[in-house]
Amino acid sequence: MMTNEEKIIQEKIGTKNPFLVPDDYFEQFADRLMEKLPEREVPTVLDGSPVEATAPAKEVQMKSSTFRSKLRIYLAAACLCVAIFGISLYFNRSQQSAEQEPVTAAATTNSIDDEYMDEAADYFMLDNADIYACLSE
Amino acid sequence: MNPPLSEKELLSMLRNPQTQRKAFGIIVKQYSQQLYWQVRRIVLNHDDADDVMQNALLKAWNNIDTFRSDSKLSTWLYRIVINESLDFVRKQKNMAAISSDDIESGVANMLMADKYFDGDEAEAKLQAAIAQLPDVQRTVFNLRYYDNMKYSEISQVLKTSEGALKASYHIAAKKISEYLLHND
Repeated sequence: MMTNEEKIIQEKIGTKNPFLVPDDYFEQFADRLMEKLPEREVPTVLDGSPVEATAPAKEVQMKSSTFRSKLRIYLAAACLCVAIFGISLYFNRSQQSAEQEPVTAAATTNSIDDEYMDEAADYFMLDNADIYACLSE
Repeated sequence: MNPPLSEKELLSMLRNPQTQRKAFGIIVKQYSQQLYWQVRRIVLNHDDADDVMQNALLKAWNNIDTFRSDSKLSTWLYRIVINESLDFVRKQKNMAAISSDDIESGVANMLMADKYFDGDEAEAKLQAAIAQLPDVQRTVFNLRYYDNMKYSEISQVLKTSEGALKASYHIAAKKISEYLLHND
């Protein structure tokens, strides 16, 4: 059902198209455009057969969710590697320091332990209760 | 003349790299006229419309692999050409940097001088008034009033809710009808 505004517009101007185009414009448009169209590389698999260009929507969604779950696994593995590396670095430094400077071992060990303990505590987000629990084991 | 291919047949050809180019050529032939009029009603001038059409369809070709079948091919193409048209007029307005009254009279004079405009002075002024509407109002008015497109289809093209589109159309129609009554 037409509104009042639409009725007014219809009465005054109708739906006449006042725009014109050159003769044969639409007949020639496609050919003119296709001349300018760049070639696309056809991706192929190892045996030379072409790869399907556009994947159906469902297949793309499935690939997307598999990729996301794999990404989570990779990120978790990366975090674990960083944690293991950090711990081994910490213990390695502690051992090297003990070997290089045996003098005043207690004082030195304490200061080195303190320095790296603070860093490790910050890194692993340990509070004092957690540290005491570890030391008492 | 060959009957037009269905969207399913065209998509099948597009997915095959060997027939992709041929499929795109068929798509251009089948859809270019209706796409052109969307562009022309926004940019008004034929030469500008021709440039916008070519740029838009080249973009569609370069991004053909990103087309997902969750919307119709025609909807996807409409979206590309309308966005390209609106970008074009925004750039023109930014370059002009003059008052909206001057823009309106300038557009009307430009249309009257255009050999590819078949309307009288009143129609030229009307087109200029439509050109001053905000982008969404202008586009939804063109699609609804001239093409009788359903709000559900316009919603897919413009990615705007049907409620917002109905409101935009109502406001646009009100402004245009008031303009016509005032300038009678």
